[in-house]
Amino acid sequence: MKILHTCILVLAAATAHGQTLPRSFDGKPDLSGIWQAFGVALFGETGELRPGQGTKSNWGPPVGPAPYRKELESRVAELAADNRKDPNVRCKMAGVPRITGSVVPLEIVQTPKKVAILYESGHAFRSIPVDGKPHPAELDPSYMGHSTGRWDGDTFVVDVTGFNNITWLPGAGHFHSEALHVVERYTLQPDSTIYYEATMEDPEVFTKPWAYRLILRHPPRDERIMESDCTENNQDLEHIVPAH
Amino acid sequence: MERLAKAFTLLCLLSAAALAHHSFGAEYDGKRPVSISGVVTKIEWSNPHVYLTVDASDPAGKVTTMMVEGHPPNILRRTGWTREVLKVNDHVSITGWASKDGSERMAGREVTLPDGKKLFLGPPAE
Repeated sequence: MKILHTCILVLAAATAHGQTLPRSFDGKPDLSGIWQAFGVALFGETGELRPGQGTKSNWGPPVGPAPYRKELESRVAELAADNRKDPNVRCKMAGVPRITGSVVPLEIVQTPKKVAILYESGHAFRSIPVDGKPHPAELDPSYMGHSTGRWDGDTFVVDVTGFNNITWLPGAGHFHSEALHVVERYTLQPDSTIYYEATMEDPEVFTKPWAYRLILRHPPRDERIMESDCTENNQDLEHIVPAH
Repeated sequence: MERLAKAFTLLCLLSAAALAHHSFGAEYDGKRPVSISGVVTKIEWSNPHVYLTVDASDPAGKVTTMMVEGHPPNILRRTGWTREVLKVNDHVSITGWASKDGSERMAGREVTLPDGKKLFLGPPAE
């Protein structure tokens, strides 16, 4: 009986210290599953919880305002005032890291050599090799960029480059150039959340790097990524009223 | 210039906003709540928004055809909707907000179904 009591105490202590972090068969934290940062399916229609609010964690939201070069601030304001300029309203893929803050879920499929992220938003996907190889020297610009992954201890780090200049960064009017370089860090927590941080560098528009943080959670239901074709009945461009 | 700086700061603070298809305030006026009651004449179970067309009757009997925008189908499914919940010719009551462009459209917030059950249709006003 005494042994059983000791076992219970040890197990309780291990749990309290987060030693039950789910791990894949290769020993890495297991990021697999459906994740979401915002939205009705996650928080419900009433009493919506925002990351960093009403939780024990102080992780997220963005770290300070986007550090645009002074001469570009008026362009940001101009774009933000007319929602028709938002590439998302035109059903474009949202790019990285903006897509991670979507109101619909994403799915991470993790293997030792490759991690895939499937997004309900815009049919987007990313296939991320975890092989230590650098980006190709020459890349065609794309919405979701070119990703390479590696593990930094228990944090999955993704280096993303090769972006086009069509997508926006998180927030209204936050345009960028093809020089955008994003480093994402996915850190699984013992409470089955992921602390997500994306650091954005773009010397053509920013004066310094900018960080964006989210908490990714499992939706409460047994979710699947579903199809969602944004172009099938998009009437918004006809009805948006610019703010200026 | 100071106004511009203030506006820019505000925009930056809004950068935590989640990625929805469009900004609520770009199409709808959160200060003009609308309640309608009438018969559903068309259901567009489509992306990026579901649209209900409703022949809404006012107390004097005047009928206005109102187009009501809601969340996309995937989000509605996750909050309890199916395509079978609502049929053409059903009588419903809907609360929401008026369009900014003056057209007979509204952002739907909550629908009261023929059996009295209430379901959320769209997001709250910003």
